[in-house]
Amino acid sequence: MKWLRLIRTFIVVSARQETAYPINFWISLLHALLNLGTGVIGLGVIFSQVDTLQGWAFADTLALMGVFLIVSALRGLFIGPGMETVAGLGQEVMTGAFDFVLLRPVHTQFLITFRTWRLFSLVDLTLGVGVLVWAMQGSQIEAAALLLFAVALLAAVLAVYAVLLAMTALTFWSPGLMLGWVFDAIFQLARYPVSIYPPWLRFLLTWCVPVGVMTTIPAQAITGENVLWPVMGALGAALALTVGASWLFSRGLRRYSSASS
Amino acid sequence: MNLRGGIALIKGTWASWMQYRAFFFVLAFGWMVPPLVSMLVWSAAAGADGIGGLSQAEFTAYYLILILVNQITYAQSNWTMGDVIREGGLNTWLLRPMPSIFNVLASECAGKVVYMAFVTPVAVLLALVLRPEITVSPDRLALALMSLCLAWALRFLWGYWLALLAFWTPRADALLALQDALVFLLSGVAAPVLLLPGGLQTAARLLPFRYMVGFPVEILFQNAGVGEILSGLLFQVFWLAAAAVLCRVLWKAGLRRYAAVGG
Repeated sequence: MKWLRLIRTFIVVSARQETAYPINFWISLLHALLNLGTGVIGLGVIFSQVDTLQGWAFADTLALMGVFLIVSALRGLFIGPGMETVAGLGQEVMTGAFDFVLLRPVHTQFLITFRTWRLFSLVDLTLGVGVLVWAMQGSQIEAAALLLFAVALLAAVLAVYAVLLAMTALTFWSPGLMLGWVFDAIFQLARYPVSIYPPWLRFLLTWCVPVGVMTTIPAQAITGENVLWPVMGALGAALALTVGASWLFSRGLRRYSSASS
Repeated sequence: MNLRGGIALIKGTWASWMQYRAFFFVLAFGWMVPPLVSMLVWSAAAGADGIGGLSQAEFTAYYLILILVNQITYAQSNWTMGDVIREGGLNTWLLRPMPSIFNVLASECAGKVVYMAFVTPVAVLLALVLRPEITVSPDRLALALMSLCLAWALRFLWGYWLALLAFWTPRADALLALQDALVFLLSGVAAPVLLLPGGLQTAARLLPFRYMVGFPVEILFQNAGVGEILSGLLFQVFWLAAAAVLCRVLWKAGLRRYAAVGG
């Protein structure tokens, strides 16, 4: 239980750091509400013109928006902040401060994954769950669908983690890469079901950055579609991606040669 | 007027920007994604029949042009102005024998060139893949170009007066985020203004945001009437004048209470 205790400590330390700037809470809230507002109103505008979008009704697409907000919130809660501290402009790999991460007597990948928490993201998480509940109100959700959704969501978060970890690992080869931001931009495509995109883009979103796994499949699971096999496939793919990304990260670690400090 | 100093500034700023071109290309990519997503969604929604008089190929054309216009008018220097005021970079600017807005304009011009160097080829590539369709008459094109200049000035000055609030509060950037959100919803990015439902469409016509991005693009399409274009241009000029006055007033009042150390 050493790991869990460590995670708890990381959360407490991050919380102390964040509450030192209480006004940031209101700024985060504003950003969360703007993100929510533009997303939901934008969706409303489209469905004021059409009834379905490639077979997706308003309620289903709204549920997908909820999933998108939930997954982005989980990414913002710990995966994103942890990776951003390591990779990016002027961050640890670039400045050589990564030495101090390597020196800690903890597994390095574990440390960078759970070290930094951004607890304000819990606001985004609440809003995301709210949108999902709002989208699903009035429809019957079976226990099996809920279970399937939980598995799909796990696969989604795992896939996001794996992609971000791989992108972080690549900065060991080229510290100037800002793949985290590239991922942020591409992830915006996850606001809509992948089936609406043209074939070439759908291909990229399936095999390069598995955006479909991240939002479309969980949304299909909760709206009661029979997606048992896609969910299992997504989970398998996410696990494979995680293993691959971890391997890439450990290879990257070996390349790290510090920087002057 | 010291024009030589201005040109030297533009050159210098541009050279320092190109050093970090990968960084700016990633930023530009991030800015072009929201209209790109809208384009793909509306193309899918339009299907074979089209929506509101626009066909699939016309939606593609609308959004491809919008991506360019959005990048041309996006005033990223507004985001750095707050830091310049807070951290005292303004001290250096104030010492120079020219109006400080030249420093901001220099970074705007340098930025435009770097960002367009990324966005233009991407837009051309997308046009080759997605096959947009549009026929533009020369007079419409001239009007659109004129409106584009006004749109850039309006978006820049509107963000500039918001950024100048940094003289009074360290959290003025939040208003810039609000502006970005309103631009997304009301300026033809989320949907062409003509397709917005009743209340939103009225708000879009009255508020300044439509005239920052969407309006110049709308002019190019035949379904925008002449009366509509004229009243739009009037709105554009009106909001531009309002923003200019606000900038002037806030700049003068702000300088009087400005007291940052550093720079």
